[in-house]
Amino acid sequence: MKASQDDLHVLTGSYVLDAISDAEREEFERHLQYCPACEAEVRGLRETAARLALARAVPPPARMEQRVLAATYRTRQVPLLPRDQVRAARKFPRRLGILAAAASVAAAVALGVSQLSTQHQLDRARESAIARVVDAPDARAETARTSAGGSVTVVASAALREAVVSTTGMASLPSGRVYQVWVISPSGARSAGLVHDTSLLASAVVPGDRIGVTVEPAGGTARPTTNPVAVVPV
Amino acid sequence: MSRLEICPRQPEPAPASDLAALLGQVARGDHRAFELVYAELAAPVYGLVRQVLRDPAQSEEVAQEVLLEVWRTASRFDPGRGSAAAWALTIAHRRAVDRVRAENACARREQKAADPAAGEHDVAEVVAVTLEHQRVRRCLDGLTELQRESIKLAYYGGYSYPQVAQLLGVALGTVKTRIRDGLVRMRDCMAVTW
Repeated sequence: MKASQDDLHVLTGSYVLDAISDAEREEFERHLQYCPACEAEVRGLRETAARLALARAVPPPARMEQRVLAATYRTRQVPLLPRDQVRAARKFPRRLGILAAAASVAAAVALGVSQLSTQHQLDRARESAIARVVDAPDARAETARTSAGGSVTVVASAALREAVVSTTGMASLPSGRVYQVWVISPSGARSAGLVHDTSLLASAVVPGDRIGVTVEPAGGTARPTTNPVAVVPV
Repeated sequence: MSRLEICPRQPEPAPASDLAALLGQVARGDHRAFELVYAELAAPVYGLVRQVLRDPAQSEEVAQEVLLEVWRTASRFDPGRGSAAAWALTIAHRRAVDRVRAENACARREQKAADPAAGEHDVAEVVAVTLEHQRVRRCLDGLTELQRESIKLAYYGGYSYPQVAQLLGVALGTVKTRIRDGLVRMRDCMAVTW
């Protein structure tokens, strides 16, 4: 049963306190994208909840600090690009997360300025779909080097069952060849599209799937015909 | 009399803008900046997680995960969308609640169901009486009992609103509404701006 808009609006408080189910959270977060008033209220209530937490601050055991600091040296960070580049790429600052912007900027820069105009012709619906994945609270990023040089980054949201795939710095291919992206599951590989100048959105992606990139004949193929240059777990 | 008049306005222990700037440096891989972020956030994160989970060993484990997540995803923090503390504490609360729900810890549930206020005192004993604490307490006192209990059970107890409704013996819709209007009143009382 779908909740009415009024029912959803009253959930701002319960959402901020994590007092709702995963399904309700998903629905509410979709609603938030189209309800600036709810989003504003959520921000204020988040700050309020933070005060409730600050009032209960308790120093942790001293041993924790060294453990956490040591772990930072083993933990790769979600990448950040220079802020001016990110800003320039942000058409919808509220919607578009840093990652999506960073990834598409990196891809555009890697493929040359001539293709930047195509970047600006991005279909708005697709772009906001990508932003939704990158901004999802459960979004997780994985980056892998490819055997064609450069790297591929996958940002996936289990709740949305979608993944954003961005490549950067891969070798240019001879004409007649393209990079194709695949969603690989136990039942086989299906195409998520060809690598052009921007990020790709892959749908119906679930944890355990992998994202692969192969070199294929121009136009792409129905099934991979070469060994992948990169495989990234979701 | 306005509540704000009896809430002394003094500087926050950690200037919010500094923490946001530090997170920007952390996003660039600055380990030294992360040490300062840790110094500011470790106690609020651990305190909140412990409030929800109660078990000290488990709380330590989850708090460590949260602080490492702050390191890992510092690039996702957007100072235009809220304070750095709220960003980190949102991660912390979510993690703690996920842990509670995943475990479905029956013993803990029953114990707390019998006495919803239990668990507050053990932690409260070691809580330094901070200015923030006093302000929050005053503002909580200004809520109706139903608002106050709903918010405490949801935020400090990690209960979902249907569980809160059951514990307090009121309708689901009432709890949703009381949590929201109670938080709105807290926001106004503490003069939270965002």
